[in-house]
Amino acid sequence: MTMELPVAIIILFVTLIVLLLAVYLLATIVELLKINAGLDEVLGKVGEIATKTAPVNGVLDAVNTTLVAGRNLLEGLFYQKAGPDAAGLVESAFPGEGPRFLQRIGRAGTVVPIGEEYPRGAAILNSLLGVAPAPAAPAPAAPAASGGRITLRGRSAPSATVVEEPSIPGRLSAKGSRPWER
Amino acid sequence: MAILWLMVVVLGLTIPVLAMLLKGVLGAAKSITPTVGAISGVAAAASTDLDAVIELVTTQNYISQVVAGLANYGGSLAVALPDA
Repeated sequence: MTMELPVAIIILFVTLIVLLLAVYLLATIVELLKINAGLDEVLGKVGEIATKTAPVNGVLDAVNTTLVAGRNLLEGLFYQKAGPDAAGLVESAFPGEGPRFLQRIGRAGTVVPIGEEYPRGAAILNSLLGVAPAPAAPAPAAPAASGGRITLRGRSAPSATVVEEPSIPGRLSAKGSRPWER
Repeated sequence: MAILWLMVVVLGLTIPVLAMLLKGVLGAAKSITPTVGAISGVAAAASTDLDAVIELVTTQNYISQVVAGLANYGGSLAVALPDA
């Protein structure tokens, strides 16, 4: 009789442990099954994402190749036409880009910004268009009577007037608002 | 006899510890389920957002056309303007 009590308690405790294990492990299994189903769903969606993004690298590489080819073409043309002024013109229009431009076209040298006006270009354009050159400081009141100027900067009053009126020949601006910014 | 009582004590101490551990495992498993659901929702939204990626092909085509136009424009300028 004295041995039956601890044995009974041991049996009771073991039963309790087995019950605990069964209940909690079954509940855990149910949760793991739910997680498995959720991850299956996620896997399908990730597969869709991978499929949809698969062509992106190729397309972007092709776009970059096309754009680099266009840039190289235009930079070569620019250097051919503007010569030693090209890097300075680039620097004046886009500060900091002059040295990179020289590096891209494989030239060395010091970049000297041209400034806000480019008389040589204006003279070439005016000669091609057959108009008289612009005065050094054009009066805003009579811009149509004179030839154009090439300005690389600014929205000063004369520049702004001429830029917004394309009928005035030979006037280009690399700065200020672009058509798509208006 | 003493060994039997010792086993009773050990088992009596084991039950709450075991219950605590099992409860922790179940709680952790239950906390993963909503996270997986949220990830699934985000993945579905991302997949929907990427439906427009195919438009890149159109963009690529446009860029090719624009660069071709630029090349033509550059060719005209090369002829029209004197070299430096």
